[in-house]
Amino acid sequence: MSFRKIDIDAFDEDVLQESELYDPDPRDPTQVLADAKQKQSTVRSTLSRGDISGALNIALDSPPYGPNVDEAKNIALQTVVSVLNSTKATEIPNVLKSLSEDAQDTLMKYIYKGMGMPGWGDVSGSVLLAWHEKLTEVAGTGCIVRVMSDRRTV
Amino acid sequence: MSAPEVYSIAQAPITCHTFNADRSQLALSLNDNNINIYTKQGKEWQVTETLSEHDKAITSVDWAPRTNCIVTASQDRNAYVWSQSLDPNTGRMVWKPTLVLLRINRAATFVRWSPNEDKFAVASGARTIAICSFDPENNWWVARHLKKPIRSTVLSVDWHPNNVLLAAGSADMKARVFSAYIKDVDKRPAPTVWGEKLPFNTVCGEYASLTGGWVHAVGFSPSGDTLAFASHDSSITIVYPGGPMVYTIRLQSLPHVTLTWTAEDTLVAAGHDCQPIVYSGGPGGWSLAGTLDDSATKTGATRVGTVGRLNTAAFNAFRNADTRGHTSETVTDTELHTIHQNTITSVRPHEVGAGGSVARVSTSGVDGKLVIWNVSAVSVGGLAGRLGAMRM
Repeated sequence: MSFRKIDIDAFDEDVLQESELYDPDPRDPTQVLADAKQKQSTVRSTLSRGDISGALNIALDSPPYGPNVDEAKNIALQTVVSVLNSTKATEIPNVLKSLSEDAQDTLMKYIYKGMGMPGWGDVSGSVLLAWHEKLTEVAGTGCIVRVMSDRRTV
Repeated sequence: MSAPEVYSIAQAPITCHTFNADRSQLALSLNDNNINIYTKQGKEWQVTETLSEHDKAITSVDWAPRTNCIVTASQDRNAYVWSQSLDPNTGRMVWKPTLVLLRINRAATFVRWSPNEDKFAVASGARTIAICSFDPENNWWVARHLKKPIRSTVLSVDWHPNNVLLAAGSADMKARVFSAYIKDVDKRPAPTVWGEKLPFNTVCGEYASLTGGWVHAVGFSPSGDTLAFASHDSSITIVYPGGPMVYTIRLQSLPHVTLTWTAEDTLVAAGHDCQPIVYSGGPGGWSLAGTLDDSATKTGATRVGTVGRLNTAAFNAFRNADTRGHTSETVTDTELHTIHQNTITSVRPHEVGAGGSVARVSTSGVDGKLVIWNVSAVSVGGLAGRLGAMRM
């Protein structure tokens, strides 16, 4: 069965490359990492003032995606999770309504990413499930479909 | 405001459907390699003819209203043009196929006649659109290929009213507008908003879907000055090429797979949510207007943002069992609260009303139903009235 492992696309000069599937992040990887670190500290200070919507909006703005930015991605996930964990369940609907549609889709990406790495860092399954339920009520199943089809994974 | 006409054609998916010019006959494929032609007898549609020539499942069919020719596209990589002629032995009219030299090495996915019915476009999995015109010398249809810059399977095409421009939606997440000008067939087209000089395979516009979903359906507005496309990321996008102004509406619900314009400011789209949805707007912005399927709201069971497909007694019973611990009576009612019981595969204009706008549309679905809807009967209730976001 070794023929099944032959990469026949290697002989096709017209093959669709991974890099053609989405527009790359215009920022440089080091720049992305610096942005993520800076955002983390801004979010921390915003959170300490009790402004959860503001903190979440900052955390979800221009998320890192694409190759070579794994560290920035981890920091961004930590940042988002720290906001999610410090929100009371009763406040979730109002926070979600204050987000733009773009930010709602990005939040859904982070919720699914967190669900895929249980026990990593501060990720808590029950918190993510609570946010997921409320976010689906606000943004609909269409939001989930957009996360599944988007190749700019966070 | 009459209720939609519902016909249960078969217990099999209808992959595509098309009506003849006076809407007395209907051609459709039941997810196999035959086209059945139905004639309306009383209140039901009866099979009067079967067109068999393809070897594999038929993907698309289109009936030219003036020349009365049917074109079919299939996964066997072929297309046939069917025309009616008199059989000298029996004296009856019979449908005869003419071969089309497509020269593609993957399935044909979609076919549409041009407005003048002298050309048709066949989309395919070979990253190609074949533009076919008739060669009277050899009595067959020959193809010229639109190839660049398509990177993946083409899922749908739509002709501009000037018979030259062609919109195509593709699995490489882009909708494009091409020139399909063929010297022997077309006169020099007048300049349009899409461009002035239009040799074959000119790319007049290329638009990406919102978050990278396959573009399932494309459509030009009746004037041809506006393009709409629906993609698998649950969004629908309307493009005005002048600005360019691009409006994207994010759906609350599952993706649309088919759409048709009914007027310059209105379009109907349908798909995995099992109900036709109406959008309206203009150069200033677009928004969701409502659903044509008011049966979903009549039952009173629809919550804001609920997917039509999840709005069933069976689903609710499971949800009650989950959230409240009810394991109540056994579920016998598994019907969806929409008229179509499964994905809508195709929506097409059916009847042109006063003022040139489309008054009725027809839809066919995986549930084997064919439904004819009144476009004016838009009901807003039950649908999330969330307005579309603007993207420049």
